[in-house]
Amino acid sequence: MPHECTDCGRAFDDGSKEMLSGCPDCGGNTFQFRPDGDGQANEAATPPEPPEPEGNSTVARTVGSAATVVRDLVGADDSPEYPTQESTPTAASSRDGPPETSGSSSDSSHIAAESAAHEDAAQASARSEVVSPEDLPETAPSQTRESTAAETADQQSREDRPDLEELREQLNEQFESIRVVAPGQYELNLMELYDREEYIIALQEDGKYTIQVPERWSE
Amino acid sequence: MGLITNLRSSISRAASTLFADAEPKRIGIYGPPNAGKTTLANRIVRDWTEHGDAVGPESHIPHETRRARRKENVEIERDGKTVTIDVVDTPGVTTKVDYTEFLEHDMEEDDAVRRSREATEGVAEAMHWLREDVDGVIYVLDATQDPFTQVNTMLIGIIESQDLPVLILANKIDLEDASVQRIRNAFPQHETIPLSALEGDNMDEVYDKIAEYFG
Repeated sequence: MPHECTDCGRAFDDGSKEMLSGCPDCGGNTFQFRPDGDGQANEAATPPEPPEPEGNSTVARTVGSAATVVRDLVGADDSPEYPTQESTPTAASSRDGPPETSGSSSDSSHIAAESAAHEDAAQASARSEVVSPEDLPETAPSQTRESTAAETADQQSREDRPDLEELREQLNEQFESIRVVAPGQYELNLMELYDREEYIIALQEDGKYTIQVPERWSE
Repeated sequence: MGLITNLRSSISRAASTLFADAEPKRIGIYGPPNAGKTTLANRIVRDWTEHGDAVGPESHIPHETRRARRKENVEIERDGKTVTIDVVDTPGVTTKVDYTEFLEHDMEEDDAVRRSREATEGVAEAMHWLREDVDGVIYVLDATQDPFTQVNTMLIGIIESQDLPVLILANKIDLEDASVQRIRNAFPQHETIPLSALEGDNMDEVYDKIAEYFG
């Protein structure tokens, strides 16, 4: 049982809404997270998310499969610092997500995806923080525990990385495979180039590039 | 998706191992720029094919090879046995490409920028081949240079993680400041063979080891 009332010891299923309005047995409002002994419980607690931050490259590939072969990624931003080789505009926007989507916190699925990279923080927060009784709604809300945790993570990530430049730098380091420093000057992330399924076959002066996608993507 | 992809790639890798005897092993010649990869590829091909066509032009300017080039069915005879390999000469792998480096070699700026772009594409291609298309690696290092670089460490690491057989060659031993021991010390987990691809020094041992590792 992932959750246990610290007063009476009653157990709750993962994602249970009962505990949101306090323990039905004793009224207690502190709960302890008890994994089932291995990573299984952790995984079950976050079904919509990949287990590791590295999952992002998979997300990029998945999104990439729906995209076209030639992508224009620099049009919106002429800065040479811009991550011109992000896999797709969609993937880029979801990665740039935390600082830019502060207004869309009601989109829980979007947040769930964003929180992938902050899973640990979200889980830690969900386990350690206790909601005070007055903050609890009269009836159990339809939101699941996961989305609440994700919001916390979203907020945390906003606080942790207020500087967009810094964030971009971080994203460059993590995801970019070829950075165009200036025409004729490139920095390559070998690990990222090695990891990606599609492969860059032609760079162009304006930062556009052509990739070859695996055959199975067109199936 | 990632899981399925990984699964597929391991199945295809397992399948390619199963049928390895049916077709020649594809051996990628990898290493940093200007290590002598093309010189070695040309020497292997000239030594073991009838026409002896060059795999590609050699140059002292880095990034002369900007597309992976392949020479198929190179038959190397050792001790009465024949080992057939496909030799893939790859562009030098590096983490930075800068056109200003080429300007020092009396190159026009436009040409230098184009060379730089093509070299970058070449590195992407080389990394892609490493992931998908090679059965073994000949890793060529310039013995006059420090082998302890990020690129060398990372590439050798990737090759090891793929369980690909790898032969490390300490090239350019004809030069005075070459140090084979420095390369041995850098990668003690692998056998290092000294050679001069340009002069043809110690090629017999190189072919012995190719037959042993990739046969």
